[in-house]
Amino acid sequence: MKRSWFVGGLIVSIGTIATLLAVMYLLPLDLTERSPVQPLAFSHKVHAGDNGIHCLYCHRYAPKSTVAGIPAVADCRSCHLFIAPDKPEVKKLIAYWDKGEGIPWIRVNNVPDHVYFPHMMHIRARIDCGICHGKVATMERISRTASLKMGWCLDCHRQHKASIDCWTCHL
Amino acid sequence: MKRRTFLQLGGMTVASAFLAGCQGQNEKLIPYLIPPDEGVTPGKATYYASSCSGCPAGCGILVRVSEGRAKKIEGNPRHPVNRGRLCARGQAALQELYHPDRIQQPLRRSGPRGSGKFQKISWSEALDLLSDTLKELQQEPNTGSLALLTPQLTGSLATLTGVFMRSFGSTHHLAYELLAPDWLRLANRYSFGQPDLPFYDLAETRYLLSFGADFVENHLSPVQYGNAFGRMRQGRDTVRGHFTYIGGRMSLTGASADRWMPAKPGSEGVLALGLARLILAGSLHDKAALSNSGIRPEELLARLRNYDLQRVADATGLAKNSIVEVAREFATTRPSLAMAGESVAFQSNGLEAVRAIQLLNTLVGNLNRPGGVYPASADPSTGALLRKESSFSELLALIASMRAGKIKAALIKGNPVHTVPPVTGFQEALDTVPFIVSFATVLDDTALQAELILPDHAALESWGDVVPLAGSRTMVYGTMQPVVTPLYDTRQFADVLLATASRLGGPLAAALPEESFVEYLKFSQAQRFSSEKEEDLELLWVELLSGGGHFAPDQAPEKHYRWASSAVIADPPTPAFAGEANKFPLHLQVYPSTAFHDGRGAVLPWLQQLPDPMSTVVWGSWIEINPKTASSLGISQGDLVEVTSPRSSLRLPAVVYPGIRPDMVAIPLGQGHHGGGRYAKDRGVNPLTLLSLLNGKEQLAAWNATRVRVTRISKKGDLVSAGHPEGSYRGDLIGI
Repeated sequence: MKRSWFVGGLIVSIGTIATLLAVMYLLPLDLTERSPVQPLAFSHKVHAGDNGIHCLYCHRYAPKSTVAGIPAVADCRSCHLFIAPDKPEVKKLIAYWDKGEGIPWIRVNNVPDHVYFPHMMHIRARIDCGICHGKVATMERISRTASLKMGWCLDCHRQHKASIDCWTCHL
Repeated sequence: MKRRTFLQLGGMTVASAFLAGCQGQNEKLIPYLIPPDEGVTPGKATYYASSCSGCPAGCGILVRVSEGRAKKIEGNPRHPVNRGRLCARGQAALQELYHPDRIQQPLRRSGPRGSGKFQKISWSEALDLLSDTLKELQQEPNTGSLALLTPQLTGSLATLTGVFMRSFGSTHHLAYELLAPDWLRLANRYSFGQPDLPFYDLAETRYLLSFGADFVENHLSPVQYGNAFGRMRQGRDTVRGHFTYIGGRMSLTGASADRWMPAKPGSEGVLALGLARLILAGSLHDKAALSNSGIRPEELLARLRNYDLQRVADATGLAKNSIVEVAREFATTRPSLAMAGESVAFQSNGLEAVRAIQLLNTLVGNLNRPGGVYPASADPSTGALLRKESSFSELLALIASMRAGKIKAALIKGNPVHTVPPVTGFQEALDTVPFIVSFATVLDDTALQAELILPDHAALESWGDVVPLAGSRTMVYGTMQPVVTPLYDTRQFADVLLATASRLGGPLAAALPEESFVEYLKFSQAQRFSSEKEEDLELLWVELLSGGGHFAPDQAPEKHYRWASSAVIADPPTPAFAGEANKFPLHLQVYPSTAFHDGRGAVLPWLQQLPDPMSTVVWGSWIEINPKTASSLGISQGDLVEVTSPRSSLRLPAVVYPGIRPDMVAIPLGQGHHGGGRYAKDRGVNPLTLLSLLNGKEQLAAWNATRVRVTRISKKGDLVSAGHPEGSYRGDLIGI
């Protein structure tokens, strides 16, 4: 009697552990926020959408570097000294400049360290920014639209007949 | 609390901790406040070609710089000395730049000497203080009261310091280094009538005989020879060069040999002459080469009749058959090559021994031949590329002047308080100098004694030029350029000299009118290429900087070695040692550590953490003792032992090492700093304090001729080793 209880308990606990492991494997454990609240309510909709400023005007390193780059505080300030200087968010920006600090933006789109993602190659291949970044021009607050998983990368690489060699991305 | 509630709560805590661990935090993206300068692209690295100043070998380096920060140093593939390779010391130069204990602005001593109490002052105050002191010295009738102490200098810095001291009116410029090859220059002058250092064509040789030359670790140009050794072994399809190592301690170089011959310390010269006799007796010598050198084989054979096999075997403690075998192989395998190293030269009969080894090369025709030995690239004839090296006797002369109170001020670049053996009396003599200026980057042992510290730039922030030491047959001229903006309020040593010259005025300011060292460098380039037009000079300068220097591989070198007709084969005298054999039974060998060279690397944590290739010890000093000796003294691995020489004693952990003769012990150089920042301070011991000097050895000091006694103190030696506790070798393969 006792023996069967023991065996039964063993089977149940092994089963539970196995189920848990399977769930962990299957669940998307990427729990980073898709649309984090930024320290400054910067609106891409106003800049890129309503005013039609080109992406590369601010993210100017994208065509020549792995990173796209975010504009320096001085770049923001040089326009906002004249444009809408009284808005509360612009005042926050000027406050950062006065303190001599960079704005601690929260990163939205990120790939792990073992992935080499060069912006300049994708720009050179005339891949539209929106394929990865979504319709930025309509977003008040930036949110991640793509899964940024390897399968998603490979789908696009296959579609565009880009290399799918391991060494292309995992240097 | 009920048991069930407890389990539930516990489970929930674990689960939430688990989930919190998975929750990836969104990273921060912090932009520049002001956009970076033109030429800096975030995410894209820039590479600068420069030269390494970690040791006199002067390898070419490429520094990767991202967003204005130096990130990685590698060898420059186009540089003929190191061909893209770089040693650990070169890689670690990065940490000199980011060292947390760097001196960030000029300091003036506020406490007693050696107390380490300094107050911060501004550059203008510091330069005023320096130039006022020097002005006072200039007023005196004897202007020779200023001394300048530096490491070996090459290139424009050598000329600049020379002009500075000459115009000041002082002859006391000492460029002494403990490991400088002045012994080799001296031997060459006797044997070949010229002091040029040799360039060994290791890559092309088929039989290498190294008499204590640890070319993989430290000898002359280690990166160049390490690479050439690889090509000698594996670079040719059909030949794998043979390598025999002679020396009482098996170094990393010795461990790479096919045959290890642990000759008694001080007997290497007798062995070389014994080999020469066997070669001559068997008529295995190169007849053409001998007649070229003006040596008659019969006469030489008669001259060497004392070096019969029995005597050589007794003197060296080696087996007769292996001596005969090596003599035959060395003479019949062409091309072959014999090298002499520091552990031979630092014996009391070192000079004669090194010359006997040079005779071996002459006998079998290895001079000026592929796979043999050539004079290294001659320093180019233009005065702009001088080399400044001082010998041991010049060091002794300066110490005598200091003792006599003739030196009133000393400008010191480098760390001689640590690297000059105390037996010379240097440290006490320096105490009598009233005004000491140090150009240290961290508060090292010498800076602690200084009145004024004028912090130098790190190497990666400095301009300069380098003529590599003995690394190539052809002319090599390397440039150094700053790869980052200086991190702190420091100034380059040469710039300080120029600023002082202009403040002092008079002949000094007239001789050194340049405002900065980079101008001075450009000026010496203009002298080198005086035939070129003005606008071409700017172009040449840019080419020099972008390529890391000027290398002339096609330029045929003109110098050759030729046995001097006046050269007499001197008998190596019976080796003398400090300390009586009954009181001090063991021979002490001090050897340059792979990581620290003469101790300058000890301030860098990467090098402290670099395991010694043989013992795998990190972060400390140790003494190597043969297992037989250790067991007779009751010492086991890691025990704390006391080493006593006739001069002093030290305590350090023991490493039981089968690769050393039972009558020898060895301690690596480089540790035992009293200053040197948080990583070097009070770590390990400095074996130089143990060394004695022998009388009559003022020309060449015999640093490996001290005997010691070893006694066990306790079990707690605090030995830290990174690998297998018994080292990286297989002890059962080493027999002695």
